[in-house]
Amino acid sequence: MTQHSLGEFEELVLLMVAALHDEAYGVVILEGLEEKLKKKVNISAVHVALKRIEDKGFVKSRMGGITEDRGGRRKKFYVITALGKRMLDAQYDLRNSIYKQIPKISFG
Amino acid sequence: MKKIVAPPKLFHRFFRWYCHPKMLGHIEGDLLEDYRDRVHKKGKWRADARFVLDVLLLLRPEIIRPMEGYKNLNTYGMYKNYFKISFRQLAKNKTFAAINISVLTLGFSCFILLALYLHDELSFDRFHSDAEKIYRIVQHEQQENGTIRSVSSVAPALGKEAREQFQEIEDMCRLSAFGRVTLGNDPLTRTHERALSADPNFFTFFNFPLIEGDPKSVLQNSDAIVISESIKEKYFGEGPALGKQIWSGYMRQGKPVYLTVGGVMKDFPKNSHLQISLLFSDATWNVQYRDYAQYVNTDWVDTEYTTYLKLKPQSDVALLTAKIKNLVKSNYPTDREFKSNFELQPLQEIHTETEQFQSAADEFNANNIKPFYLYTFAALGIILLLTACLNYMNLATAVAIKRTREIGTRKTLGAPKFQMVTQFITDSVVLSLLSFIIAIAIVYAVLPFVNVFASKALSITTLPVEWMIGILFIIFIVGILSAQYPAFIATRVSIVDALKREVKLGGSSLSVRKALLIAQFAISIMMVASTLVIYQQLNYLREKDLGFNHENMVVIDVNSRNLRRNFETVKTEFSKPAEVLGITASTRVPGEWKSFPIATTKSSENINGSEMIFVGIDNDFLDTYQIKLLAGRTINDPVADSLKIVLTQLAVEQLGLTDPIGQTIEIPKVRYGERMEELEQPFRVEVIGVVEDFHFESLRANMMPVIFGALNTSIQVIDYYTLKIKTNDWAQTIETLKTINNKIDPNTPLEYTFLDSRFEELYVTDARRGQIFLTLSIIVVVIACLGLFALVSYSVESRMKEIGVRKVMGASVNSIVRLISKEFLILVVIAGIVGLPIAWFFMRSWLQEFAYRVPFGVSVFALAILLTLIIAFVTIGLRAARAARMNPVNSLRSE
Repeated sequence: MTQHSLGEFEELVLLMVAALHDEAYGVVILEGLEEKLKKKVNISAVHVALKRIEDKGFVKSRMGGITEDRGGRRKKFYVITALGKRMLDAQYDLRNSIYKQIPKISFG
Repeated sequence: MKKIVAPPKLFHRFFRWYCHPKMLGHIEGDLLEDYRDRVHKKGKWRADARFVLDVLLLLRPEIIRPMEGYKNLNTYGMYKNYFKISFRQLAKNKTFAAINISVLTLGFSCFILLALYLHDELSFDRFHSDAEKIYRIVQHEQQENGTIRSVSSVAPALGKEAREQFQEIEDMCRLSAFGRVTLGNDPLTRTHERALSADPNFFTFFNFPLIEGDPKSVLQNSDAIVISESIKEKYFGEGPALGKQIWSGYMRQGKPVYLTVGGVMKDFPKNSHLQISLLFSDATWNVQYRDYAQYVNTDWVDTEYTTYLKLKPQSDVALLTAKIKNLVKSNYPTDREFKSNFELQPLQEIHTETEQFQSAADEFNANNIKPFYLYTFAALGIILLLTACLNYMNLATAVAIKRTREIGTRKTLGAPKFQMVTQFITDSVVLSLLSFIIAIAIVYAVLPFVNVFASKALSITTLPVEWMIGILFIIFIVGILSAQYPAFIATRVSIVDALKREVKLGGSSLSVRKALLIAQFAISIMMVASTLVIYQQLNYLREKDLGFNHENMVVIDVNSRNLRRNFETVKTEFSKPAEVLGITASTRVPGEWKSFPIATTKSSENINGSEMIFVGIDNDFLDTYQIKLLAGRTINDPVADSLKIVLTQLAVEQLGLTDPIGQTIEIPKVRYGERMEELEQPFRVEVIGVVEDFHFESLRANMMPVIFGALNTSIQVIDYYTLKIKTNDWAQTIETLKTINNKIDPNTPLEYTFLDSRFEELYVTDARRGQIFLTLSIIVVVIACLGLFALVSYSVESRMKEIGVRKVMGASVNSIVRLISKEFLILVVIAGIVGLPIAWFFMRSWLQEFAYRVPFGVSVFALAILLTLIIAFVTIGLRAARAARMNPVNSLRSE
């Protein structure tokens, strides 16, 4: 299997899924992102990103129980996979290592 | 009461419509949750607006349901699964797979080869751009004895006159053969070439490509010749030859004629009825013979010119034929009776409809074949394919019964019948395609050998796309059809039985498989019997006593005046070496050499006359050829006996003579090939001897009566010396003969042939067909035996326990082998009863071609059955013996 790339928004969603461990579903992820990013995020963008990272195997999902306030619809909970975690680690290391190369100059 | 808040209905329904069903639930849930939240926080109106926006933004490829319906995904997976299972089946039953693939490969390769062969036969003469418009005029002439003589050539004046008079004719081209010409600038390497002359438009009329020279003008000038590439290489080597001169055997005013190369043509394609390597311009004869132009323009009796017409589109062929007949009739000499019918033969039919024509030159009807053989080969291809399929069906059914657990599982999981049938079809199509690919590779590999053997230029690449698609289609259909029966048998079982593995070999399935085996073996026995008959006939032709000696005889062709003039001296010179036991000079020799002069002979008892071969001989002829003299004496002196003749028994019989010696008979006319000549005054001769009958020609034809006359008659000149040789070193003897020849005539090389090889050549096509039949019948038998082997294995495996019990009870290996063999051998015998009548009928019609045929009867057929039985028994025995020798513990322990 070829190495999958991870888009910027996808990375954010994946981070959020990881952060919300086992409690992540559409609306919660959306709210979490809006809170951190301090801007409006569209639910459609979240769902597309979720579908893509699920296809790439970074997250897996399970269906939750039926709740009253969703009009009887199930929740789909997402959990990060080992592959997803490795991907996040790799991204983090990459950024960190490049960041460390920034010379210590004052940006006063 | 809590007020129900609902998002805008229209957009909610829109979302439900477009969303992928798998994602619908949870995304809709998210939307609704979000919506409710917002209604609380921001009010209904703002929440509605957000909801609409979300719905519209969700309209993305990832989320929309697929166009073709998402459920298809499942069925694609199923197809993938069919293939996976097919390959697993093959891997699981390796013997079965190996047998099936080799059988199908064999069947397909032969089928493809036969298709290539048939395509080649059907492609004859189709490469000319005007092929559909070209016709050859042929003539059917009624003979005096009532028989019809068909010739593919007509009178010289007809073509030109018809062209001028009849509107329908767009163009016309004539060819005539005039025998052979000696060529070569170096006297030592001179050889003889068959030559023809043609009208100047030959290369524009037909599409034979020229390498050198302009098609419009190559045959314009006198003494111009057009030669084929191989002839050019023989005399001029590499490089262009245009304009070069070459010595010919012709003389003009005492000097040899030098011919000029006007053009070089590509060697004629093999699928052409014309096979010409040397063409003279017609203009040459105007110079060579004084009255030639007059002869060509005014002669309406000779049948020397092969005439082709190119008709304008939509011409009425029947009407034109009638017009041609009238034209000839009105120009025919008044003192002769006109008894001919004409026919316009389409160019493309010449290849298959030429058998009946007597033509002096092979160039005009090369490689012709009877439609009978084309049908036979087509039938053989289909038979081979059929046996391969029967075999597959048989084996697949046997294996299918083993697969009942798979079927049961499928059924339990809810597979409809259609899906199970699809599995079987996939199995057989996968197998067919695999075999097809191997078959193509095999065809590629063997094609060079096939081409040498059949002297053809077959190639897969020349096969048109439609044929290739046709073959693939047939193979595909074969795959699908052969899957039907195993699928039917396997899907019929009930689920419970299938899962319990308690499937009985259904009685009907077994009998159908037996029927398939009978069909296979019937075909095999048919082929074996036919091959035996063909070989018997070929042997018969070779061994049959022809009535004269043809072994160790060397025939020398006389090509020059020097060799002809003083035949007594020539004879003495040639008889000097010790190896030469005898020598004789004659005008013709047996073995269908050049055309025989046919003398119409009359006697007082036979006033209408009969046609007889006339041969002039010297005093040594009968001794050298060992022809038995029954009464009287032979020709002793060419001059003193010039009005004496010797008859064969058949001639005596046909002339109705009771006491032939001393009788006088009369020869009023003689036919030379295509030309009938009235003798100036009837040749009246006295019978002085009678010899035993002998076969002058191939045994395809009936024996002809023969008259032997003296050499010095007006009928024909010496053309051959026959030497009876006894030697251990043929090469040395031939060298000696060459030296003697060079002494007598330094200008012309010795041309010699072995008489027995000449007789072999007469049946060379038959021998070749015999070999084809032999090969194909071996293949058919092998296929049938592989099928039998697999079936026996299957039967043995399913009766393992029975065999074990029998052994425990004390049965011997022999009795078990007998038990298993018996039921299969009975099938072979039944197959024989079915197959032999067909073989008998088929062989009888083939033998009709020969005037002399081997009597065939019960013995051949008994032999065929016996052979097949032995082969079948060995096949069965191999497998059965292995089963019978097994330790019964192994089979009985399996519970």
